[in-house]
This record gives sequence, structure tokens and C-alpha cells, in this order.
Amino acid sequence: MIDLEGLAGIRTSLEADGYEIDVTEGERVEVVISATPDACAECLVPASVMVPILEHALKVPGDRIDLTYPEGHET
Amino acid sequence: MGSLIMDPTGQTTRAEAEMRLARRPESLRGRTVGLLDNGKQNAGRFVDELGKVLAERYSIGGVVLRKKPVATVDAPAELLDDLHDSVELVVIAVGDCGSCSAAAVADGIALERLGTPTAVVCTESFKATADAMAVVRGASGYRYATVEHPMAGLPADEVRARAEGVADEVVSLLVDAAVRRGAA
Repeated sequence: MIDLEGLAGIRTSLEADGYEIDVTEGERVEVVISATPDACAECLVPASVMVPILEHALKVPGDRIDLTYPEGHET
Repeated sequence: MGSLIMDPTGQTTRAEAEMRLARRPESLRGRTVGLLDNGKQNAGRFVDELGKVLAERYSIGGVVLRKKPVATVDAPAELLDDLHDSVELVVIAVGDCGSCSAAAVADGIALERLGTPTAVVCTESFKATADAMAVVRGASGYRYATVEHPMAGLPADEVRARAEGVADEVVSLLVDAAVRRGAA
């Protein structure tokens, strides 16, 4: 079970930079981060950094997380 | 001077590592403070105003201004070494986006490990990112100061107000011995 409070915190941070986050939990945790038209491209950390951030915030092991980033963003 | 304490059993995970912060002075009086502008909009104005407030309220000895070449990634090691060699304390500002908040916290932790007491300032919206980066860098519970979001786009008088409002919190991070116990 993901930590909903942690998810809310990450969502607040992402929304401040113009991003949205959707999380679906099953056997694995699917995280999709998408850019709004107002997104700040350089403000989103690389996916390699986001995974441990999500691991901490959602309180799930990083190897259970499948992360999808906005197309064209550095991974 | 700063050191990282790891579990001698070798069982400590990255997230559980305990970091001991650099030794703090009893006060800022007469101390030279490094002000690291991370390059975000209004960060330079903010650290400049914060330096003035620290001089007015805490009689610091002077400031040394430095600027990060890129806000959104860790500062170059040469820049952190230069600050460590040049000043006694450092303030880093401002974490006003996801990547720059994470990078500011990473820089603060790196300076603590060099032995330089450091206070990082982020805007409130990025606490989750800043907290998580602290864990990633082995400093769970690392404390930093926060100001209202955003900093970018504020007029000069509001930047000054942000600096005035957060100055005491910044000082408590730089001199308060209790902070060292809080970084577990």
C-alpha cells in the first residue's frame, strides 16, 4: 500500500512545476508523470533521481516502481 | 570536520544512514558567511537581502557571494571546496523548483560533510522533494529553512520580506546545537 500522504507531498511539488502524477498500484506501482502546457522542463529531476524520491515518498521499494516520464525528458 | 556515521554492523541502508552535521559556532557574530545563489529567479536578490539582514541582526563579519553555474544539478566540487576554504558558514538559496530544491539539499549535505555548517532555503512546495533527496544522500531528517512559494516573480520588497521572515530560522540552523541532534 503506497503512502498517500507521501504521494500528496510529491504531487504538490510536481504541480508547482507544472506536472501531474498518476499512480496505479497493483503487483507493481505504475507512476506516470505528465507535463501540463505550463511545465518547467528543467525543473523535473531526471528519472534516475525521481525513482529514489518516489521510493522514499511512497514507501515502496524502487524495484517495484515503473516510472513513465514526459516524452523527451531526460531519463 | 563533518562526518558520516554508518552502522558498524554494515546493516544500515542508504535511507537509514545517520549524518552528523558540521560543528556549529555559538553565534554568527564576526563570522564570514558564504551566500550561494543557485541562479533561480530572485535567488541573487534574496541572498543579498538575507546577508543584509544577518548583518543587521546578528553582526556577521561579512559575506562572500558565489553563484552556481546550473541551479538544477549539484554544484561543482570546486565551488563547494572554494566555499569551504573561504567562509565559516554557508547559506544556499533558493530551492524554488523540484530539481533545484533537490540539488540545493544535496549541496548543503555535501558542504556539511566538508565540515562547513550550511543552511538551505527552499520554498514550501518542494518539501517532499527536498526531504527525499536528503534520504537519498544519506541524511534522513536533514533540516532546512522554508519560505512561501514562489520566490520567482516577486517584486523586490517582497523578496526582502521573505529574507526578513526566514533569517532567524536560517540562523537557528547554523548555530543551534539541537539541529545536530535532529539530523538522524
